[in-house]
Amino acid sequence: MWSYEKKLQYPVKIKNPNPKLAQIIISQLGGPDGELAASMRYLHQRYAMPYKEITGILTDVGTEELAHLEMIAAILYQLTRNLNEEQIKDSGFDTYFVDHTAGIYPIAASGVPFDMKYVGIKGDILADLHEDMAAEQKARVTYDNILRLTDDPDVRDPIKYLREREIVHYQRFCDGLRIAQDHMDSRNFYACNPAFDRGCGKTCK
Amino acid sequence: MENNQAKQMLSKLQMLDFSIYETVLYLDAYPHDSEALAYYHKLLDERKVLLAEYERTVGPVTICGNVSEDRWDWIGRPWPWEYDAN
Repeated sequence: MWSYEKKLQYPVKIKNPNPKLAQIIISQLGGPDGELAASMRYLHQRYAMPYKEITGILTDVGTEELAHLEMIAAILYQLTRNLNEEQIKDSGFDTYFVDHTAGIYPIAASGVPFDMKYVGIKGDILADLHEDMAAEQKARVTYDNILRLTDDPDVRDPIKYLREREIVHYQRFCDGLRIAQDHMDSRNFYACNPAFDRGCGKTCK
Repeated sequence: MENNQAKQMLSKLQMLDFSIYETVLYLDAYPHDSEALAYYHKLLDERKVLLAEYERTVGPVTICGNVSEDRWDWIGRPWPWEYDAN
């Protein structure tokens, strides 16, 4: 089970609201490579993972992604606070506002609501770990793109922190792939699927 | 630690944590209820003792509960969704 900690993983303190920027950053909430997709991906992949080191990585990275989901929501909340009707219309935030007011709703920047289609859970160690490594790189690119589109230091600071975490997670999944391969038959990694076939690999539990 | 003893302790911890959760939900709605607040503190005292014993003899419940200084036990025991863990 989970319990909530009443603190952000890294502080978010944004002086100037900017609803137009919020509509871009919201992709890291409910977009294809966002934090909601990341947490759902890892926290559901872990059940089929036969190696305890990788189950641990999936559990703990998946949990950290929930903390990142909260940081993105905090950024969106602060970027859309104290708006008047004119600011809403002029910034183009009106298309979001009409459906959600200033509530936080997980969608991509294009407006498409969050979809589990963004998440791959194949029940195969090699497929799932490669999905995870790619997902971290794609999220890193999204943060790079966000950094191209804003010069507000209050926004850039937590975004840079989140970008760095993608790289660390990528490294841990690379470690996970190496650990998985150490358990498998190096002459044919595809001989069987240790997440499904009993006794597959060298030391499957 | 006997597996049976570990499971009994886990069961006690689950019951205690459920009581705490129920009390927390109630206190969220009625934050000025002093009787509920006292009950919350009584449960917390019990939890502190039980959790310390559980993490010392069975294993960590959270990432901050790895008591051993020379071994990483967090990934060592069965995961909670496994048949053998329940």
